[in-house]
Amino acid sequence: MGGDYAPEEIVKGAVLAAQQGDVEIFLVGSTGILENHLARYGAAKNSAIHVAAASECIAEHESPVAAIRRKPDCSVAVAAKMVKSGEADAFVSAGSSAAATVSAIQYMGMLDGIYRPAIVGSMGTFARNTVMVDLGANVDCKPHQFLDFAIVGSVYAKKFLNIVDPKIALLSTGVEEGKGNEAVREAYSLLKNSGFNFVGNIEGNEVLGGKANVIVCDGFVGNVLLKFYESIGGQARDWTEKKVKKYPFLGILVKLVFNRLFQATEISSETEKGGGGILWGIDGVVKIAHGASRAPRIANAIQSAKNAVRAGTTESLKLELAKYNQGGKL
Amino acid sequence: MTIEEQVRDIVARITRVDKSIITRESTFKDIKADSLDVVQALVAVEELFEIEIPDEVAQKFQNFGDFVSYVESKVAQTEKV
Repeated sequence: MGGDYAPEEIVKGAVLAAQQGDVEIFLVGSTGILENHLARYGAAKNSAIHVAAASECIAEHESPVAAIRRKPDCSVAVAAKMVKSGEADAFVSAGSSAAATVSAIQYMGMLDGIYRPAIVGSMGTFARNTVMVDLGANVDCKPHQFLDFAIVGSVYAKKFLNIVDPKIALLSTGVEEGKGNEAVREAYSLLKNSGFNFVGNIEGNEVLGGKANVIVCDGFVGNVLLKFYESIGGQARDWTEKKVKKYPFLGILVKLVFNRLFQATEISSETEKGGGGILWGIDGVVKIAHGASRAPRIANAIQSAKNAVRAGTTESLKLELAKYNQGGKL
Repeated sequence: MTIEEQVRDIVARITRVDKSIITRESTFKDIKADSLDVVQALVAVEELFEIEIPDEVAQKFQNFGDFVSYVESKVAQTEKV
């Protein structure tokens, strides 16, 4: 029951998702507070929404990593345990991403061969056949994590983009093997010997060029790039509108053109439109919604988690990992 | 398998480092373990040996040797009981 606008917007989002149908929702948190809010939104007797008790919560100043160990009854921990036990199929959180991630790792577990979960997103209109991993789940990465990202990205590219043998590239500061920081240089060597269709390093100016289907980078770089990319359309529109202020007709045209550009730079349904990112590599579906999500985005996140369960994303990844772990090529 | 070997196996598996590089003098920083690695290792050890390692104790571990010594002492206490 976390998030910048919790519990109001979370409860409203759940009510909205339930109205859209075909989903059953457990709101996990303080039962009194949740039941009051459900009553306020006229959903106290909605048979698609239930309340599950969590007696603890993580304070803002607490380290999420340590808190999960000390507070096994906080809402994200309870939610993760519900998925593990089969009581729920997926969990969605708009609270601390770190707390949700740690709970998922701790109580649901990682898939065999994956060290930490990652967020995947396709590059939208400009590079329809390109996905990036990681978009923010792992700020500091060890070299072997880049290999995990390549595995996860390959499965995504095959399953959602129908690419048979995805080309993998490593995002770096130069195309030569020795370019990049220490982790990237070590990752290059791992990827080169991995059996993947590894096409080497690419630089930032090649991200949208279609040279690779899967671009791997650490979550710090991926998240910065994601937000920069998604800002391009809006920034370009604002700048151009200012320039043509004197000509009202041109202003309308600019709006039309740049609103399309703005949509084009949104990264895939897996992130913005879906209300956040799915944590790939966890043994189950976990959706990390933006902290600032309001009701419509929370509803989208719930629907997106449902779709991921229906699409069998975890099972697909398990199958591919089993092949890879047995020495096969993805 | 000794307690030390079992703890080393857990730490090596979680941090994905070769267990041969984990000595009693190794710090978590030496083996590039982050805070999540440490918590996962603590939980895994607690579950395996059915003991509890309070945070305030864990925070005082200077190296792998301290970790192992604490686990050994807790296991010995449990066996006495």
